[in-house]
Order: sequence, then C-alpha cells, then structure tokens
Amino acid sequence: PVLPEGWTGEKDFKSLGQLSGAVERSIEPVGPHFLAHARRARHRRTFSEDDRI
Amino acid sequence: MAENGDKQTGPEPSNRVVIGVTFGNSNSSIAYTVDDKAEVIANEDGDRQIPTVLSYADGDEYYGAQAKAFLVRNPNNTVAYFRDFLGQEFKSIDPTHCHAAAHPQEAEGTVSFTIKDKDSEEDASTVSVPEISVRYLRRLFGAATDYLGKKVTSAVISVPTNFSEKQREALISAAKEAEVEVLQLISDPVAAVLAYDARPEAEVKDKIVVVADLGGTRSDVAVVASRGGMYTVLATAHDYDFAGVHLDNALIEYFAKEFIKKHETDPRSNPRSLAKLRAESEATKKALSLGTNAQFSVESLADGYDFSVTINRIRYEMVGRKVFEGFNRLVEGVVKKAGLDVLDVDEVIMCGGTSHTPRIANNFRGIFPETTAILAPATSTVAINPSELQARGAALQASLIQEYEAEDIEQSTHPAVTTVKHISNAIGVTTVGPDGEAFTPVMAAETAVPARRTVHIPAPKEGGDVLIKVVEAGTHIKVTKPEPKEKEEKEEDEDDSDFDSDEEEEETREKIWKIGSALAEAAIRGVKAGSKVEVTINVAADLSVIVTAREVGGKGGVRGNLKAP
Repeated sequence: PVLPEGWTGEKDFKSLGQLSGAVERSIEPVGPHFLAHARRARHRRTFSEDDRI
Repeated sequence: MAENGDKQTGPEPSNRVVIGVTFGNSNSSIAYTVDDKAEVIANEDGDRQIPTVLSYADGDEYYGAQAKAFLVRNPNNTVAYFRDFLGQEFKSIDPTHCHAAAHPQEAEGTVSFTIKDKDSEEDASTVSVPEISVRYLRRLFGAATDYLGKKVTSAVISVPTNFSEKQREALISAAKEAEVEVLQLISDPVAAVLAYDARPEAEVKDKIVVVADLGGTRSDVAVVASRGGMYTVLATAHDYDFAGVHLDNALIEYFAKEFIKKHETDPRSNPRSLAKLRAESEATKKALSLGTNAQFSVESLADGYDFSVTINRIRYEMVGRKVFEGFNRLVEGVVKKAGLDVLDVDEVIMCGGTSHTPRIANNFRGIFPETTAILAPATSTVAINPSELQARGAALQASLIQEYEAEDIEQSTHPAVTTVKHISNAIGVTTVGPDGEAFTPVMAAETAVPARRTVHIPAPKEGGDVLIKVVEAGTHIKVTKPEPKEKEEKEEDEDDSDFDSDEEEEETREKIWKIGSALAEAAIRGVKAGSKVEVTINVAADLSVIVTAREVGGKGGVRGNLKAP
C-alpha cells in the first residue's frame, strides 16, 4: 500500500509483533535440501554464510 | 550373526556401490542411479517388480516370479507376505495372506516357517522370518550385482512410516547378513515425493502433497508438507482392508460364480483351484489397468474343466466398487487428520502397484479440486510409473549420501537435527488488490525453520512511497452457496450435500486468507513507477525474524529484526 502521510519508524522500520505459533515436528532426513540443512545445522552456519561457501 | 556386537565398519565411501531398494510384502524393487537419473533394475527373469516370495523345490531355491508360480503346485514350501512379520512377535502378526502358502508358526519366540528347503531330505526345517528375509534379500542384491557387474555394497531401503524401531533393526541386520550395508532407512511416502522432485524439470515449491501408496496387502496414505525441498509428514493412515488383494478377491468371487453357473463346482473349495484362480485374477486385474478388455483363462481350473471368459473394465469397476470407495474414504480421512481441506492439497502422488488402476485415479480426480495435480498414469502425462517411485527415491537418496561416512549419516539424521519448529501460520505481506487489502504469502504455514523466502511484489503503478506491512495469516474455507431458491439453509456439514437427491446447484468452496496479527511495517521511499519491491523474510531457529525490503534493482533497502517470542 501507499505510505500514509506522517508514518515514521526508526530507520524506516517498525516492529509490531512476534511470531505467534510454532509446532515441533520432524523433518524427513531425505533429499538434497535436507542435507544442506543438516550441514548448516551441524556447522552452525546461517543461510548467507552457506551461500558464500 | 549380525547382532554379535562387533561394529563391522562398512566399505570406504569411495568404494561403495549403492542401490535403492523397496522391500514390500507383495513385491520388491531395486534401482540405481546413472548420471543423476534413477533407473529401476530388472532381475534375471526380466521383472522390475519382483514378487517377495521364496520357494524350495527339490532343494533348489527360487525367488520372485518363479517362486510365486509355485504357490499353485508347491504351496507348503513357498513363503510369501513375510515382510511385515520381520521384527514382530508371533501374537501381533496377521497371517491371513499366508493361508495359501507356508503358514507362520511360533518357534523360539520368533515367527518361523516349516519348509523342506534341503535336497531330498524328508524332514522339513524350521526357518525364521529374519532368515527368510536374509535369503530373499541376498537374491535381490545378487540380481542388482549381476546387472551392474559390480558387487553391491550399500543400499538405502524404504519402509512404511509405521515401521517400529524393532522392525527397522531387524531389517538392517537382515541386510547386513546378506552382506549389504544399509546407509539409511527412509520412509515410503517421502521416497515417492523425492522421485518426483528429483526430475530435472521439477521446481522446488512449497506445496502440500498427499501420497497414496496403494499396495498388495496394505494401503498407506500420508500428507506431506514440502517446503523448500524439505519434507515433513503431517499425518498418516494405514489400512489393511482396502488394497490390491481385495480387488483380486472381488474378481475371484466374480469368476468363481461364472464358473459355478457353467460347471456346478466351486473352484474356491479346493486349494489348488483357488491358487490358480487367484494367480489368474491378479493377471486379469493388471491387464484391465492397461486395456478395457481382458481375458481370464485357466487350464483345468476345477474338476478338469478349462475355463475361459472375457471381462471388460466397466464390469470390473462394478465388481470392485466397494474397494474403490474404501480408497476414497482413506484419502479423505487422512487429509482431515492433518487438519486440512482437499483445497489445501496441491498434489496427489499415487504409488504402489494398485495405483495403476484408472478408476482409482479418476475417483481421486473427483475428490480434489481441479488445481490439484493427480499424478497417476490415468490422469497425468508426466506421471512416473507408480510401482517404481519408491525404489527410485531410495536410489536417489543412496546416491546423495554414498560419499558420507556412516557416522556423518547417523549424526545428520539424529532427532536433534530433524526435530525443529514449524511455523503454524503463513507469513506474508498485505497488498492492495481490486477489492481492498489482500494477502500475498511469503512463507507458507508448516515451514520448518530456519527458513528464508523472497517474493517480488508489484509496487503501486504510479510509484512513490510504499508501505510494506508484514503480517501472519491463516487459511480458511469459504463456502458460498448459490442463491437459495426454496431450500432452507441447514447444510452446515459439507457432507450433507452428497445426500441431497436434487443437487443441481453446487455450493462453491474456496480457500481464502484470513489476516492475523501484524508483525512489522517498513517504508520504501521513492519507488519508481511500475517497479517491484523485493521482500525477504528470514526466520531463525528460535523464531526471531529478519525482514528485508528493497526496490528491485535499487540499492540499500530497509532491514529490521523481530525478537524471538
């Protein structure tokens, strides 16, 4: 939407809330994307760190 | 023995020859990968679906189709339908399907069979189910070894989702005793999804997939959330009353009645006649999946009479109607169990031998909305052979992990890695549509975190300053009834409409977004006319969120954090 007049936020960003819900579930340890996830999880890398490698 | 504890290390990762295996109650398959494509291997009989049957005649061992043929002449020394007995206690097994073959017995706490497996010896030996499995797997792996020209060292095997830890261990040790290292056991429905997702033309999308695995003696249905190529099973159902053998039984009944009309003897009253009837009924059923007419003929079926009759597909569909309806209820039930509606389902993957039946796929077509892809030969031109999916998926997984050390595989599949939070609501941004505020999803519900998604949203035509509102949203089903003419409104329950005899006007059901709580706002100033805004949402494992927004092609942009709840 168009920015309303007089809207302000710190560095143009305003935090309003947090994620409300999540459920613990098991991912299936199968497929190339899971293996990438497992690699990140085990080396404690973030997505952007992983992209650079 | 396998369980004597010495941690025998498998072959070096570089020396592995890997295959994918599905080990079923009725049939098993083996597959390997060549140039990243999975191929199913035929055994020396030319079969790609190899019957899970082992038989002994005069001390010679037969397996697969040859062993299955012995169910007619040598049923007592033929073992079939034993996969589900592996790792089970005698009192918990269902021996129904073994009635026409060697019967399972209890011996020393395990399920066993008494068969004459040695040359010309009069006394039969007692062979346990694990030992039967070892012998069968040895033949199966041998067929792959012969085909590949190299000794198969390692395999990924797919198993049902309700296989217990004990069953898994029993299978791993049986494979080990057959001299093949099990790299990983993966679940059947996920193997099927992987077989589709690994095709070069497939693109990774967020979607809800229903995998209907319709087998010989059991049917397993699973709802899988596929999010960024990662799979989470949301619900499963297992059914032992609606499967391939029940279709065979319906045909057996039909043919037996036809035979009685002609010859006045019931071929079901004699075990050998029944075995012939069963074998030919199954063959006729398979023919009816391909053609609209099939011949059923058995030499000397009963009392020395030959029997030959043709059946068309329409007749067969009438005969099997009850079973077909059972499949419908099974699929509808598991979608409901996952807390979803048929409108939420993007794909139905049909696998298992019974999925070749055109009627079942057509019935599913009727259950789901038109936007849902029903992946079966009868309803899709891009469908993969349903019988081969799991073996292909297992082979693909095997090729992905063959370079890994056994320890790495174990650590990666550890619950600490696989058990993560999945967001309950979709996250997205609001846009101004033709009728007010609309929601554009960026990250779907049930996405495993950490996750990152990016979308491009068109900015207002005239450009200028834009406000990006990030919100949570859920879906719900909006039912729009056509203008009620004379009927009063009482159909709260959507099932009601099925019973309405005069159902000319159908209500329309659609999925709509219901916008929930706001998460953040960001301002992008001075967007050019006709430009797009790129929004990236990054959810960390602790549910904290990073939102980045910028004009496509522009520099800088806005970035902000939301704290973890």
